Amino acid sequence: MASAGPGLESLVDQIISVITNDGRNIVGTLRGFDQATNIILDESHERVYSTRYVLINCDLLPGLLSNALIGSLVQNSAISNKFLSWCLKVCCQHEGVQQLVLGLYIIRGDNISVVGEVDEELDARLDLSNLRAHPLKPVIH
Amino acid sequence: MLPLSLLKTAQGHPMLVELKNGETYNGHLVNCDTWMNIHLREVICTSKDGDKFWRMPECYIRGNTIKYLRVPDEVIDKVQEETSKSRSDRRPPGVGRGRGRGDIGAKPGGRGIGRGQDDGGSKGGGGRGRGGIGGKGGIKGGGRGRG
Repeated sequence: MASAGPGLESLVDQIISVITNDGRNIVGTLRGFDQATNIILDESHERVYSTRYVLINCDLLPGLLSNALIGSLVQNSAISNKFLSWCLKVCCQHEGVQQLVLGLYIIRGDNISVVGEVDEELDARLDLSNLRAHPLKPVIH
Repeated sequence: MLPLSLLKTAQGHPMLVELKNGETYNGHLVNCDTWMNIHLREVICTSKDGDKFWRMPECYIRGNTIKYLRVPDEVIDKVQEETSKSRSDRRPPGVGRGRGRGDIGAKPGGRGIGRGQDDGGSKGGGGRGRGGIGGKGGIKGGGRGRG
């Protein structure tokens, strides 16, 4: 009789990507699992997705804005949206995908939505700092 | 390796437990069971938002409320030692593996469930796990067949 388990045998000691019910994405090496899809993840890290912007050239912003202000006062016009978004582009950058080191984890099967095989070669080619995506929403039961 | 054997090996080690409600518990694992119920000592509980903390000498957490456990890295090496030891203790797999379960009642020729089945007759024997001890009837419980 075939086992009633989750059938993850072929992924043991490989890098997998787990999406949890609360919408987290955890990547690590699968060391073991059981019937309930509880999972041991070794050397794991969480990939945190966000679309937030962070300031990278803080020192530039005040100068740019005050110049714009003076300019607009001189010309007696409002600062254009176009200019403001340009300022943002110069001074800010989206965060990209942050990686948080987690280490050795036991994830309870109840909390697992998806287990995926990771193509290590392809994964290594990803430039996470340039990736931007909305975080996943949690599963609603 | 089974998650629960890793957890068992982590006894005495510090660990972090996050519950489904987002609370986290940091403490030393005293004991755990097959339902993942865990007993912690010297615990610091943190609220979901991480803004409130409670210290408690010990706590007991029902397994099904757990989201994940964070265990010190070195624990995984200790499990491997244990499993390889117990593996070498075990008899080599192969002939005569399988288990059977006898009928609980007193029916003669108790029948195995699953793989190990009785040879159908009143004669015991055969490497497969057999259910009940063949035909003798009235023997309660299972024959654990291991030839």
